[in-house]
Amino acid sequence: MTRGLASAAVALFATVVATGLAAQSAATPDLSGAWAPYRGGRGADPKFAAPPATEILLKGDYKKSWDARRAAEAEANKKGEPLATPAVDCIPYGMPRMMSVALYPMEIIQRPAQITIVTEAFSEVRRVYMNQPQLPIDEVPPGYYGHSVGRWEGDTLVIDTVGIKTAIPAYQMMPHSEQMRITERIRLVAPDYLHDQITIEDPVVLEKPVTYTLAYRRMPNYKMVEFVCENNREYVDSNGAVRLRLGQ
Amino acid sequence: MSRIGVLLGVAGVLALCGAARLQAHHSFAMFDTTKPVTLTGKVTQFQWTNPHAYIEIDVPDGTSPPKHWTVELGSTSILMQGGWKFNDVKPGQTITVVISPLRNGQPAGLLVRITLADGRVLSNGPGPAGGGRQ
Repeated sequence: MTRGLASAAVALFATVVATGLAAQSAATPDLSGAWAPYRGGRGADPKFAAPPATEILLKGDYKKSWDARRAAEAEANKKGEPLATPAVDCIPYGMPRMMSVALYPMEIIQRPAQITIVTEAFSEVRRVYMNQPQLPIDEVPPGYYGHSVGRWEGDTLVIDTVGIKTAIPAYQMMPHSEQMRITERIRLVAPDYLHDQITIEDPVVLEKPVTYTLAYRRMPNYKMVEFVCENNREYVDSNGAVRLRLGQ
Repeated sequence: MSRIGVLLGVAGVLALCGAARLQAHHSFAMFDTTKPVTLTGKVTQFQWTNPHAYIEIDVPDGTSPPKHWTVELGSTSILMQGGWKFNDVKPGQTITVVISPLRNGQPAGLLVRITLADGRVLSNGPGPAGGGRQ
């Protein structure tokens, strides 16, 4: 009798666990595959376009230097002598700018314990460790991709990233401190359309968090193209302007 | 997508630059998009490379040797999204390109579109509608 009860209890427990797992996997979307940035413009479906971003409000001196840089950029562009950015030297974008570079696709590789994002421009790689606690910021060696942990909240993948080097410009080339925290909420808005809502918090640099959304469209059967920066003919002259090295 | 008739790649990308501060490897501000130049010449090199591909061409201008021009293209990925193949251009072929020339007057520019030796017309990437492969 006792053995019978125990067997029944084990069977019931197994059923509950199995049902729970099935429910979890049914609720977890599969984001695997290649995705291309989906921008507004001619022919784009506004249903899937990204909503507008919030305003970037920088604190005191950060605002002054960012405004000055943007004014200098506009002036230089008018003269046809654009100012250099790290990308001119083939330095990768890092987080968060790597998540949307021109028309370059990204690939998502999804496993329960880790989600890996590979972008085509500069072949950048992010690793998102699932269901782990985030490290304190001062325990993460500053880098291009920092330390990312993720979890599913229903149909939304939530990623928390810290530890981005201050030398790497953030969204819209804005400056940031070591305290920057990037929270992404990634979800399918339709079977083949993905949104990544990105919120940047930085108590040192920002008056209030900035939120913007990137939209992507699925590229079925797309094979990612390699990108090695082997033939960089742009260079920065002594005035800081970008020039093109001519061939023969 | 059709490999012919894609004529709006760079124009589309440049239009998007204004709309969304599209980031790319470098700014296109060094090129003058308002004064397209058409060149017909013989290919001396085709470099299928990143961050940009390049076509080097000799363009007869009545002098000897002919004037040499450098044509910058998008990256290999962006070109493939526009229907290009790595071997669409070969040294010795005669091609016609429309370019946005460098503003500083040097003999180089950014490709707008090309008429290949076999008559096909390609642009410098995919069309702008929605981004990505069409």
